[in-house]
Amino acid sequence: MIEIDRVSQVFRTSGRQDHLALSEISLTIEDGAFVSILGPSGCGKSTLLYIVGGFVNPTQGVAKMKGKAIAGPGPDRGPVFQEFALFPWKSVLGNVMYGPRQQGMKHAEAEAQSRRLIEMVGLKGFEHFYPKELSGGMKQRVALARTLAYHPAVLLMDEPFGALDAHTRTRLQNDLLNIWERDRKTVLFVTHSVDEAVFLSDKVVVMTRSPGRIKAIVDINLPRPRRRAELLLDPRYQKYVVDIERMIDDTSEDGLRP
Amino acid sequence: MMLVRTLGARLAPLLACLGLLGIWQAAALVLNTDSFPPAMEAIRAIPSILGDKESLINILASLRRMAVGFSLAVAVSIPLGLMMGRSRAVASFFNPLLMVTYPVPKAALMPIIMLWLGVGEIAKILVIFLGVSLPVIYHSFQGAKAVEEKMLWSGAAMGLSAAQRMIRIVLPAALPEILTGCRTGLVLALITMVTSEMIARQSGAGNILFNALDMGQYDTVYAMIIIIGAMGIGLDAMFEKLRSRLVRWSEPGFEIPLSFA
Repeated sequence: MIEIDRVSQVFRTSGRQDHLALSEISLTIEDGAFVSILGPSGCGKSTLLYIVGGFVNPTQGVAKMKGKAIAGPGPDRGPVFQEFALFPWKSVLGNVMYGPRQQGMKHAEAEAQSRRLIEMVGLKGFEHFYPKELSGGMKQRVALARTLAYHPAVLLMDEPFGALDAHTRTRLQNDLLNIWERDRKTVLFVTHSVDEAVFLSDKVVVMTRSPGRIKAIVDINLPRPRRRAELLLDPRYQKYVVDIERMIDDTSEDGLRP
Repeated sequence: MMLVRTLGARLAPLLACLGLLGIWQAAALVLNTDSFPPAMEAIRAIPSILGDKESLINILASLRRMAVGFSLAVAVSIPLGLMMGRSRAVASFFNPLLMVTYPVPKAALMPIIMLWLGVGEIAKILVIFLGVSLPVIYHSFQGAKAVEEKMLWSGAAMGLSAAQRMIRIVLPAALPEILTGCRTGLVLALITMVTSEMIARQSGAGNILFNALDMGQYDTVYAMIIIIGAMGIGLDAMFEKLRSRLVRWSEPGFEIPLSFA
């Protein structure tokens, strides 16, 4: 279980006054839940994810994992970034093996496990390619496999499909769901796409425009396993999307008025 | 067609050299002065220099000094540059120091260094060290600064400590940039080597060159220039081979190699 308790984040900006990115966020994430954080850009949703990852220290409040305050990054929380952040000097296999090897797994065992993961994300045959030789979608598949390889209890996904074209994005969403429905890790998923959040999640946390506050938490009661074609026709799915879009419109309006 | 093209690409540098020698030869014949001997005469003087034991020892001594100066400079500059790139405190401490020393020709420091350390090996190695350090520090600094934060976060999540991230993420990620600096440093090592031997004449390739100049042996002067130039080209080609092998993962698909390798 992850508990976020009245977390606020202030960033020092050069010249101008300090910027309040997150204001008094409290949120509990149950084990095995797929939770999306949804909001307009600049609402601090990625910052919240970085705080759970231990990459950023909150200015106020505390984030806890299994009852213990998060003090820094650790292999129990595996990030997947929009920028992929693969190691360009390592092959696909080398990237995926990196975590297990760092955790002290034997080379042969790490390789066997990594090959299985690479196959699972659909990249069999690309083991010895370098990142620069892969498309964006393939890079993100490698990044996912690399993070799954060290068995984090929580996946922290920071707009992972944000840089991909619509078609690739859909395929990766489907594949992520298939993988997730197998072992049900806790997932914290940051996105600005309402469809994506509703399609994937058990729970959608809607945030307001800066300073980021929680506007609403919507439970998505749609059956699993979810099939995209069925879901798009499901009136319940459509209603979730429309309702949440309306909330987002309310929160972003103020920024657009002259 | 493919064969002709690859053969052409292979021979191009050679043809360029021959063209240069041709122009030299023609110009020398037209000008006809003592201080500018024809290319053929200079080339004819090369075997006698390389055949002479004394000269050979001198040239090898130069190369050894260069190797020592270059290695020491790289060993110090890469860690320093990387630390500057990742720590604002380290960068703001060393940056002004480098800014001040950057435009100073390192050979101009030679008289002062000679005053302190004499005209021996240490003074010359120190000058080479100074000449090589700056480009290597600068490029290591730039390379380390450009390393993606998220890449380091990914490493941290896998359990890499700060020191491990430096050696196992920042170093390899910055390696293409570092090696660009080393390549510039290698050529600068050759230049500072020759100039240091010009100022502190005692031994070395530069010593042979400038002694010959004093005695009006112009064919030896030009022959030495060719030898030193060839050493530069050879070292650079060797280094470029090593470099492209080490950072193949970062090379774009097509490129015109800027070297003889």
